[in-house]
Amino acid sequence: MILLNLLIRGLITGAIYSLTSMGIVLILSTTLVMNFAQGDMGMLLAYFAFFMLARQIPYPVVFAIVILIGILLGFLFEKYLMSRARKTSHLGMVMITLALTMIFEGFVGYTFSTMPLLFPKAISGDPLQIFGVIIDKHDLFTFIVSIIIVIVLFIILYKTKIGIAARSLAEDEFGARILGIPINSIYLFIWMAAFAIAGVSGILVAGRQTLEPHFMVVIQLKGFMAAVLGGMNSIIGSVLGGFLLGMIENLVSFYIPQIKDSFSLILIVLVLLFLPQGIFGKREVRRA
Amino acid sequence: MLKIEELYVSYGPVEAIHGISIEVKEKEIVSILGSNGAGKSTILKTISGILKPKKGVITLNNKVINDLDPSQIVKMGVTHIPEGRHIFPNLTIKENLILGGYFLKENEVKKQMDYVINIFPILKERLNSKAGSLSGGEQQMLVIGRGLMSKPKLLLLDEPSLGLSPKLVSTIFETLKTLNHSEFLPILLVEQNAKKALQISDRSYILVNGKIVLSGKSEDLIEKEEVKKLYLGR
Repeated sequence: MILLNLLIRGLITGAIYSLTSMGIVLILSTTLVMNFAQGDMGMLLAYFAFFMLARQIPYPVVFAIVILIGILLGFLFEKYLMSRARKTSHLGMVMITLALTMIFEGFVGYTFSTMPLLFPKAISGDPLQIFGVIIDKHDLFTFIVSIIIVIVLFIILYKTKIGIAARSLAEDEFGARILGIPINSIYLFIWMAAFAIAGVSGILVAGRQTLEPHFMVVIQLKGFMAAVLGGMNSIIGSVLGGFLLGMIENLVSFYIPQIKDSFSLILIVLVLLFLPQGIFGKREVRRA
Repeated sequence: MLKIEELYVSYGPVEAIHGISIEVKEKEIVSILGSNGAGKSTILKTISGILKPKKGVITLNNKVINDLDPSQIVKMGVTHIPEGRHIFPNLTIKENLILGGYFLKENEVKKQMDYVINIFPILKERLNSKAGSLSGGEQQMLVIGRGLMSKPKLLLLDEPSLGLSPKLVSTIFETLKTLNHSEFLPILLVEQNAKKALQISDRSYILVNGKIVLSGKSEDLIEKEEVKKLYLGR
């Protein structure tokens, strides 16, 4: 029973890792930019959400508004920063995302103070008990929303033209360009999607802990690890890697609490040493 | 329909194309021959908008297309089938084809896909397998099929014979000939395989170091002593 409890909680933590790692891999595989700002974009949007919730705006409405702001910020970010940086330097684009984290953390700390704030849960009340497994209602909500987001993103990536085009960009940019695929619109779409996802995970994580300027840093790191674990070039891998990391972490911290904090780092070193493509990473299926 | 006048193209400070003029008329197959590095691919990339000309004018049906980006040029009916295949190996064959017809409407995509599958039946049974699992020759067919998805009015074809067995090369060239004869699709072909290209094309240009040194009807060129010696190995 303890084992089941641990696994279920691991799945819930994993769902959060999955969202972030999916955002990171979506950007990385298509634009080759390591996006350090995925977590902190969620942090910024969670603050917006906090002040809307404090004004009694209902949760679902706040959710929708945050997603829209995420989409808008993604649009502005690609249109006015990344598309210009892309012409000059690739490293510059990575540095911009890093700078963004500092700007966001500074902005939030300066404007709203760095004091931890208690973020309301989506669903409050006593935890549920299902077949002996104890689940917090907000956690259940977190899990369901994450799954929905993952499914929606996969439908977009595999069933719509713009999604297929985004995946083609991850494979062969020149090939996509020569077909006339409007690459700049695809980049816009990708950043909009990534920052919308960031907003969702920001709210979900904030509801499980307190809101403060650095609360997404750990999640960003775990999202990155989940991506390494699952495979940096595979979006499916990034999602599964997130769930896997969540579960393994939960088990280890219960049975071997001494290595709780260092464990995921050890895991990443091992993965990079012995399975550098990640567990689900694609080996190129290319014949000469 | 396509007219290139006094075209100069450079990569940074290095000029690769030094003032060439090429024309492709309706229903024609025109080939550009030349060795590696002569600038053949550069010309095609400039027509399709990937590269920008330094000087000169490119017109399509009397409209200047110099400053258009690749999407706009594809929409005008010019499809560039690049050298080195550039398929998307981890996408399915169907997805590869869908992307070829990016600007078609939903119902047109289906129709055009049937048309392409009809030309290359080998793609039919494998629509849902990954493109990377195809053999080299099949991949070349996929690339041509993907190019045809956009309903081109002019086909720019870069080295379709590269790395293929002689038998496959013949198959591919047969297909191109059929397309040209039955649908009057004009083709601008870039080839190192001079013999094949001269046989299939109506007119040819011979490119050396970014300049056109010889041009004319392919049937005349194939008889010329210097062409024989330099390009046909006889």
